[in-house]
Amino acid sequence: MTSLSNPWNRLTLAGKVIVPLVIALIGVTIALAAVWLSGFGPWLIQWLLDTLGANIGIVRFLIATTVILLITVPIAFLNIFFEMKIIAFVNLRVGPNRTGPWGTLASVVHGLKVLAKEDFTPTGADVPVFTLAPAVIFLAAVMTLLVVPFAPGLFAFDMEIGLIYFFAVGGLSVIGLMMAGWASFNKYSLLGGLRAAAGMISYELPLILSVVGIVLLTGSLNLTTIVEDQSGSFLDWNIFRQPLGAMIFFIAATAEGSRTPFDLTEADSEIVAGFATEYSGMRFGFLFFAEYVNVFILSAMTTVLFLGGWNAPLDIDPLLNFFGIATPVTVVLDPGSLGFGLLGVIAIVPPVITLILAVAIRMLIPTWGFLRSLVVAFVLLNMLVVGLLLGWLAINLDWVLGLLWFLIKAIGLSAFFVLLRATLPRVRVDELMGFAWKWLTPAALINIFVTAAALIVVKSMEGGL
Amino acid sequence: MTEARTRIPSLDDPEIIVDTPATIYDAIPPYPPTTEREAEFYSLKDGEMLINLGPQHPSTHGVLRVVMKIDGEKVVDLDPVLGYLHRGVEKICENGDWHHAISNCDPLEYIASMFSEAMPVMVAEKLLDLEVPRRAEYIRVLAWELNRISSHALFIGWLALDLGAVTPILYGFIERDEIVEMLAALTGQKLLFNYLRIGGVNGDLNHEFLSRLGTWMSHAAQRIEDQQTLINENEIFIRRTRGLGVIDREMALKMCLSGPPLRATGIPYDVRRAHPYSVYPELEFDIPTRTEGDSWARYWLHLEEIKQSLRIIDQVLHRMPDGPVMTKLPRLLRVPPGRAWVAFESPRGQYGAYGISDGTDQPFRLRIHDPSYFNLQTVGLMMPGHLIADTMAIMSSLDPIMGGIDK
Repeated sequence: MTSLSNPWNRLTLAGKVIVPLVIALIGVTIALAAVWLSGFGPWLIQWLLDTLGANIGIVRFLIATTVILLITVPIAFLNIFFEMKIIAFVNLRVGPNRTGPWGTLASVVHGLKVLAKEDFTPTGADVPVFTLAPAVIFLAAVMTLLVVPFAPGLFAFDMEIGLIYFFAVGGLSVIGLMMAGWASFNKYSLLGGLRAAAGMISYELPLILSVVGIVLLTGSLNLTTIVEDQSGSFLDWNIFRQPLGAMIFFIAATAEGSRTPFDLTEADSEIVAGFATEYSGMRFGFLFFAEYVNVFILSAMTTVLFLGGWNAPLDIDPLLNFFGIATPVTVVLDPGSLGFGLLGVIAIVPPVITLILAVAIRMLIPTWGFLRSLVVAFVLLNMLVVGLLLGWLAINLDWVLGLLWFLIKAIGLSAFFVLLRATLPRVRVDELMGFAWKWLTPAALINIFVTAAALIVVKSMEGGL
Repeated sequence: MTEARTRIPSLDDPEIIVDTPATIYDAIPPYPPTTEREAEFYSLKDGEMLINLGPQHPSTHGVLRVVMKIDGEKVVDLDPVLGYLHRGVEKICENGDWHHAISNCDPLEYIASMFSEAMPVMVAEKLLDLEVPRRAEYIRVLAWELNRISSHALFIGWLALDLGAVTPILYGFIERDEIVEMLAALTGQKLLFNYLRIGGVNGDLNHEFLSRLGTWMSHAAQRIEDQQTLINENEIFIRRTRGLGVIDREMALKMCLSGPPLRATGIPYDVRRAHPYSVYPELEFDIPTRTEGDSWARYWLHLEEIKQSLRIIDQVLHRMPDGPVMTKLPRLLRVPPGRAWVAFESPRGQYGAYGISDGTDQPFRLRIHDPSYFNLQTVGLMMPGHLIADTMAIMSSLDPIMGGIDK
């Protein structure tokens, strides 16, 4: 009996995925139809809604964690693309320009490449620790995203101690780096892991101390409160209230994310690739995934703490009111009005617009065939609809505009991290430590004292007057 | 018939070499210690470990292998292991005739091969007592100085790359690319030129070369200066190179240093001035020196030498005489018996060759004196006490080329 006589073995890889899915789908359909026909349907739906409503916290948490895990993927791809394109720009090179428009899909291809590569474990490695280390590093990075407020009302967790949670969980990645360094059974990995531990522990201190000033000013550890405290024009942002704190936080964040000029943990010209030397395949992918997500997280944190989070640099509400745009559009969705008329509009208007666009394209570019211009017109229509929808959302939903501002700031900072990498050489390990302990930590302490003293003076003057 | 096969002990037998069967946790020296020095090096004190830097390390400039004994991040001792690129060039040269020696010596200094190929040429010319046409001499100087600039531009990029900066190497490659393109127009090759000939050069200057050279010369000085501002005034770069890998005058002379590492200690020894050859006595240029003897001084000297080379190229272009580029020589070149030593200044220091001819058309012996080899010897003096990160800054600043070291 050969392996091919088994029908399962004759399936291709795609078939092995699709066939069970189809069988499961048929089963679910039959079960649903049976439930519905037996008359239990409404009761089941009611029970489901009740259960979900009673445990709304858990449901919210599950959805939030899933979304957070999923959005790390485009974030990492964006950062990798920046890494390739901005460094190429500084180096006077072209950079990736073949896969996708302007090479934007090159990072996706990189991701697929590491997925397809061999996952290799060296002889003498501590296998469980070696396998777990990338997961620990990745999760420590991703879990910090849970408390980041992206926009008003758009966060996974609104913790009262969000700031402390961020530093506590962010510090966990040192454990992962040490695990990777020790378990790889490689001296370069060991050196990289120890460098990571020493550097991160040294820079944890100024990183935390630099935001104490903000906590004093705001009177809260809640990140949403900190952002709301910075609302108004850009002069209300913490970077203008706490310039020293912002500088210390940014430098320490660079070291914490082990980015150039503090990328000693994976200094390729000294210790090959540091803790990542022996990793390959998707484990290596996870290590670098974590690094690029970390860059975004640190940019996001800098944005939240110092650059006003989701707040626009200038209040544009008066402007919108002036043009009368801000008046909310209310669409009355009356079930009675959803008749054949609306159906006709939905069914007829998009094809008509597509056809008009196709004819226009055909007249403008006569060399294209009709099918091609039809496809392009359809894509254009979709872009138009999505753009209109987003514009409408931006005006009517507070958090879309907030998210837009937040992403602009955070991604701009990520790009700045990459620009630093393209420009600066690496700091030596003893100078890194010296800088943290001799300069950054005292400066952070001075910042705290000055802020506290100023607060006391202001408070006492207010009280006295 | 059934008795077990007796093992014939051989030095290459791994079971003989390692007297106690080593586990994967032990550091294994490559061979049983044959000298006291090796025995001392491979016995570790408490807290020390051996780490193998190369031959496949990202920043050892080819296939150099350095076994380092480290205590934490600090380098206690080190043992460079050479020979991963050994091809026996000196022996190969004895098997071909003098013309073959040119192309055999080409890849020795593969970054600036216009220099290493000059070696058999100049030895043969000295033995033949040949008068090279003046135009050929000027073309040689032109090609040498262009190649020197391209090599130095790469040096600066490499040094910055080993310190963690990614951009200067690509800026260095911009200059190198243009020079390599123009030399390709002149010689037909981009890397191993095989352009110099006994008694002249292979082919006169052509239009493409001159037009490329003119375009490049019009902006070269300004652009090289602009590009260096990225690292010249960079605080991190200066802190990581200044006071690093210091070697003093006496030790530099004892260790037979030459080139920028020697001039960084304050000794203005440049073969182009000390023992003039070709048309260098007619040209005006300075020999920049520093007195610190550290990595920063070596970096600074490379920058200055680029400027001096540009000066030389400018004068060469203004004084280029007319005339032939080759002397008339017999097809079968029998070099008269004798011995000759030639020396000239390569980007890395004094390149020398000691040739012996027995009157046939083949060299009887061609001893190659490569500056990289002697410069690299000093890492053993410079490195102990520094950190692992500094080994790169020191090794890069000596600018070794493994092709010439391993020969």
